[in-house]
Amino acid sequence: MATTNPLAALDVSRRNFLRLCAAASGASLVSLDARAALAAEPRRGGTLRVGFYIEAATMDPHLSGSKIDRQVYHNIYEPLVTLDVKLGIKPGLAESWQQPDSKTVVFKLRRGVKFHDGTDFNAEAARFNFNRMKTEPKSVRKGEVASIDSVDVVDAYTIKINLKRPDAALLATLTDRAGMMVSPKIAQERGSELERNAKGAGTGPFEFVEWVKDSHLVIKRNESYWNKQGGPYLDRVRYRPIPDDTVKLQSLQTGEIDVMDYVQPRDVAGVKADRNVVVVDVPSLADFAYQLNHTRPPFATKALRQAVAYSLDLEQIVRGVWLNVGVPANGPIPPTSWAYDRSIPPLKRDLAKVKAKLAEGGQPNGFTFTMTTNNIPINVQEAEVIQAQLREAGITMKIKLVDSATLLSDGNNKNFEMISYQWSGRPDPDGNTYQFYKTTPGTSLNWSGISNPQIDSILDKSREASSQAERKRLFSELTKILQDELPMVFIVHPIEPKAFSPKVQGYEPIPDGMMRFKDVWLA
Amino acid sequence: MGRLVLRRLSATVPVLLLVTAGVFLLLHLTPGDPIDVMMAESVDATVKETLRRELGLDRPIYVQYAAWMGRLLRGDLGRSIRNGEPVIENVSRRLRPSLELAFFAMAISLLVAFPVGIVSAIRRNTAIDRAGATFALFGICMPNFLLALLLIFFFGVTLRWLPISGYTDPFEEPWNGVRSLALPAITLGLALAAVITRTLRSSLLEALGEDYVRTARAKGLSEWRVIWGHVLKNALIPVVTVLGLQLGTLIGGAVITEYVFALPGVGRLVVDAVFARDYPLVQGVVLLIAVGFIVSNLLVDVLYGWIDPRIRAR
Repeated sequence: MATTNPLAALDVSRRNFLRLCAAASGASLVSLDARAALAAEPRRGGTLRVGFYIEAATMDPHLSGSKIDRQVYHNIYEPLVTLDVKLGIKPGLAESWQQPDSKTVVFKLRRGVKFHDGTDFNAEAARFNFNRMKTEPKSVRKGEVASIDSVDVVDAYTIKINLKRPDAALLATLTDRAGMMVSPKIAQERGSELERNAKGAGTGPFEFVEWVKDSHLVIKRNESYWNKQGGPYLDRVRYRPIPDDTVKLQSLQTGEIDVMDYVQPRDVAGVKADRNVVVVDVPSLADFAYQLNHTRPPFATKALRQAVAYSLDLEQIVRGVWLNVGVPANGPIPPTSWAYDRSIPPLKRDLAKVKAKLAEGGQPNGFTFTMTTNNIPINVQEAEVIQAQLREAGITMKIKLVDSATLLSDGNNKNFEMISYQWSGRPDPDGNTYQFYKTTPGTSLNWSGISNPQIDSILDKSREASSQAERKRLFSELTKILQDELPMVFIVHPIEPKAFSPKVQGYEPIPDGMMRFKDVWLA
Repeated sequence: MGRLVLRRLSATVPVLLLVTAGVFLLLHLTPGDPIDVMMAESVDATVKETLRRELGLDRPIYVQYAAWMGRLLRGDLGRSIRNGEPVIENVSRRLRPSLELAFFAMAISLLVAFPVGIVSAIRRNTAIDRAGATFALFGICMPNFLLALLLIFFFGVTLRWLPISGYTDPFEEPWNGVRSLALPAITLGLALAAVITRTLRSSLLEALGEDYVRTARAKGLSEWRVIWGHVLKNALIPVVTVLGLQLGTLIGGAVITEYVFALPGVGRLVVDAVFARDYPLVQGVVLLIAVGFIVSNLLVDVLYGWIDPRIRAR
């Protein structure tokens, strides 16, 4: 690992992390091994073997609800617009776009793009995709495209999206599954079989070859890819599920795989010392927190929510549990985002304040509550540290360990007092805020049940505001209110380290954590 | 023999009914909901409701069970909630690695257990016997996952002789297939060998004390002929019983071993299905595991008859 690599920083304090994000965004292409990259031109050929913790769920981006699917999609499908390392929006299948007014977006589509089945990508195809997302009964994209009223075909390569209401987050939403274009011919002919077989369905740098369930999924280079700059260089990419973290890591160390999706914090230091493995710290969009139930005691009382928040020492949690593979959170917006306000510090532990808040909340001698969390090692450790910190502040916390299905149903049914919530994050801050804090009756991701007119109005304004500066100001205001109202206690924005064999070159760490292999090659 | 098989088979019907009903009830009483898991990131409550209705998950449990039973009687195991794939396809694909693993583990355990067990019995209370006992104790006490990780570390990471994860079908690539199953088969086989060694040793010792052994020895038969020709066959019954039970367990999937070695077997399937609350899939696998147990027990009963004609006559 060359020392010039800005991501080699071993000790990641909060300040270092911010610097690291800035460095990542400054470099146009971060090479894993700078010396090799300087010495050699990208080479065509070879099979990249990728180890994931779990297998993909479906090959149909409009029906997908799992993060791992996206890892594959970003190589075989392409969205209308894509992200750069700074989370800026850059052209994808759309060459350019305009917003004549706040409720209209016009996309000029790229010409000469063909789906892998040989059919043309054009305005009709784009309209078909949006309609499919909106009307297909099993579509998981409905919520994401809810603001879209209709899509007009202006000419063969221009579409006009008419919105029901202004939606400043729309472009960012279209950088992922909601913007991905599927061949209309394949979608119609193959129907639900598309979930298992995506042959011919995308336009991306790689084509789907085969998916042997539980064993492997193979994609190959698209020889007639429209973008002639750079890759795709690799002949094939072979994805394989390896559920055990230790075994996955050992598979990388012994050369059975070349890439692994995620290194557990406990393994990071050890792996960084291994010369046969290169670790890239990919800053994430994630936001790990605990939702507090506002609809029942004890956390219906604001002072008691604050008592819990001021009892926690986030620095200690991030250092002791996350081993600094992450930074303390000041709110839902991660440091990778343009909307992150570094002038707002995370809440600090203050036991005198806790005492005052306990008295204010009518529980001067402390109180008892239950935290619900996932029964996985790092969550259990975190829960135990929090339990100890609360005990020092005179608050007793019981820990209820559940599997993720129970966690989800407890959350959706508001059957909890404090519950773990780990959100993978979205490129636009709207995706980390609106659905969690906006007043919503019935089931939603607003598990805490918070209903605050001031927050509602900021959230709505943030969707309508046209300038990024204005939105950033609104999100700062929101973060401050959240620190006071506490629908959640925010803990950490984790880093998602990925590990590579030293021969893997040309990987660009985009903070959404997706591994795009277009320009990757094997030395 | 035919009547024995028939009698056994007719007894399986109530067993299967009980097992499926029990699992169905337990699964539905467990908190969690398949649609919540499937659409964890969706805020759209109406989509969830539609799906729930479409899959019939909004109906009372007994109606759902009756519907499932009805389909089963027509030979339809239903479809996975998670990916819409027919349960039968899912399960049969996963059965193959599990069966292959069970076969290799059995083979390894027999190859180890028979020599060790026999020698331990003949050379009772010698150093060899004590070594055998130590081996058995080690095999029984060693947790599966720890042995698996040690084997991975030694043969995979340090020596680099064998692949440490993943599955290759031995019918497609015989050499790589056997290699891919080697470590998991050793993991399971050693523990199994330990149990069989002890069972075999003690039942051999018991048989060695019988009168016919003295007679055989008095006839001047060599010790080898005594063991091989007379004692072993009489000592086999408990061993076969243990083997039958273990085979059932192996077909049901060696969850931890499959998990550690990333083998796509039945065990991992059922655990993943439980976590996803994929009811039809769990039901399908449980049915298969139950059938697996019944068949291996039947096999044991048939073997009894072959080993000991007196049982056949009864």
